[in-house]
Amino acid sequence: MIYTIKSPALVIIGILMLIWGGLNKSGNLDGIQSYLQTSAYSDHMKVKEKFDAELRVATEMAAAENKPAPEMKMPESKFDQEKATQTKMSNFFGGAFVLLGLFILVWKPKQGNLDYFVSVVPGIAYILVIAFIVRWGLDPIFANWGNAVKTAGILSWDFAKIFNLNYVVLGIVIGMLIVNVFKIPAWAANGVRTARFFLKTGVILLGTLYSAAELAQLGGLSVVMIGIFVLGSVGLVLFMGKRMKTPNSMTAVLSAGMGVCGVSATVAAAPVVQAKAEEIAYTIGTILIWGVGCMFLFPTIGHLLNMGPVQFGAWAGTGILNSAQVAGAALAFDPTNIETLKVAEIFNITRVLFLPIIVLWLAAWYVKHEEGAKKVNLAQVVIAKFPVFVLGFIAMFALSSMGTFAPAGHYQGKYFSSAEVKEDKLLKDKEARALNGELTRLRTAEGVQALSKYLADKNVVLEGHKVTPDEAFKALDDLIANKKMMTRQQSNILMSVSKMSGLDAVAKGSIEKAEKAATHDSKVIKEYRNWIAWLFAFGLIGLGMQITGKALKQAGGAPLVIGGIVGTLKAVGSLIVVLMFVKEFV
Amino acid sequence: MSEPKFERGTSLSIFVSDRREDLSALIFAFAIAFGVMLLA
Repeated sequence: MIYTIKSPALVIIGILMLIWGGLNKSGNLDGIQSYLQTSAYSDHMKVKEKFDAELRVATEMAAAENKPAPEMKMPESKFDQEKATQTKMSNFFGGAFVLLGLFILVWKPKQGNLDYFVSVVPGIAYILVIAFIVRWGLDPIFANWGNAVKTAGILSWDFAKIFNLNYVVLGIVIGMLIVNVFKIPAWAANGVRTARFFLKTGVILLGTLYSAAELAQLGGLSVVMIGIFVLGSVGLVLFMGKRMKTPNSMTAVLSAGMGVCGVSATVAAAPVVQAKAEEIAYTIGTILIWGVGCMFLFPTIGHLLNMGPVQFGAWAGTGILNSAQVAGAALAFDPTNIETLKVAEIFNITRVLFLPIIVLWLAAWYVKHEEGAKKVNLAQVVIAKFPVFVLGFIAMFALSSMGTFAPAGHYQGKYFSSAEVKEDKLLKDKEARALNGELTRLRTAEGVQALSKYLADKNVVLEGHKVTPDEAFKALDDLIANKKMMTRQQSNILMSVSKMSGLDAVAKGSIEKAEKAATHDSKVIKEYRNWIAWLFAFGLIGLGMQITGKALKQAGGAPLVIGGIVGTLKAVGSLIVVLMFVKEFV
Repeated sequence: MSEPKFERGTSLSIFVSDRREDLSALIFAFAIAFGVMLLA
């Protein structure tokens, strides 16, 4: 069988990409880009304004001294970087596709590996050009609309954020639209089958974003609690799926999504249980719809029950399924205090580490239920079915925890390092004086009493124990003496103290400045995140292209019912457990 | 997607088996990870 289809499509896609790259580089698209990259453009204008002012002063000084005007280059802004990235990617892929497209037109393919793998490229180009449109166009457009509707006061919330109208959802929807409205062209059909391969690559790379040291901040009992809810949800979905007679692959993939955390878990479990594309989409849809409700309800309930930041963070991180929605609920509950968000995120990522156990469980469960009453040899199932790509996730996590990619103890590439604080980021004398003034005030009898009450009320805890005023004083002393944060623990303590009411504004700002100066971004992890986003965008568009309306109808409404029941039980159960125990052991 | 007839792989994958796809993804992911490390 000859797979390669002679078509000018690949050349046309390549030329379109080269045109986009060229126009971007020449600045002809700056008008459109300024709308699409709103925040980067506003940053760019600030950089430009500052540069123009510096250039003017330098030129005037040179003129006064009868010297030639100085040659100065404007520093690269985020906007310039984004444009440069788009140009590079468009030119690289555009050039490659034009060359390969011309080769396909003149080549006489013979049956074999070369024909097979060359035939995949047009489909890859087809999905990639759609991924460009989604990530560079639709994603920012929806973000702008969501923001505009909120700013105009039409809605009090950002609909694009709440409904997750980002490249994940948009990618699947666009893929579905293409297959159901336009159909996939024959020359692209073979390449669409690469979607799952790219999704698996993305899941493996996900392991680089987390590190064990970050998780060590949780107490052992918290990990047990998360484990119970994760495994309990999976078990409950599997039980209900059997009762409601949903297909085994649908039940299994839904259980992973409901148990762990949305899209990544669904994607990771799907190949093991041979889930169909529409089952994956259905699961993602169920999780996202459920998450939207949670984002509205959780913060309201949290305030009604007068929950503290640690309690609410623990609840949101356990009860809400989708990572973005966990962050949304935590911020909605407390937009100013990062502690809620941090606790929620740590609880949330801990769930991901249960992924290998769940995949193994589902592999055994699926084989057992597909083969009816036949006895299943678990060892054989493990060897035959265990997905090697999940081992890849674990390997990446281990390497990440050892500090291979970024300093150990990072979370999504952000890490603490006192040694790397730049000279110009050290606290100024005025700031140190303000902090000293506050320290003296807090050390009085009244101050100690107020600080003790604040630390107890806010339940400020560190490594399993409640923070004492003496620890806060020591942290402040060290900050004043060194003009920078010395340890991550002290940074966490002082960031909590900085939220105290009545604290001097300069002192508060100094603590925040010192915390920011000691928190660094890893370029490598930032790059990995970018890769993961592209791999997921590509894979989900391809996945969407395998979902027909007919298949969705066949999936029926049972998964939504199961998802709703299990989601509610998980949310209520985790709320009760959090209210009963979290104060004591987080 | 209309069910195309492929002699190799399945309608969801170009690889002959899941294990082959997993291993390829593993190699590709490690190539990205170490490639980025070297170039960044």
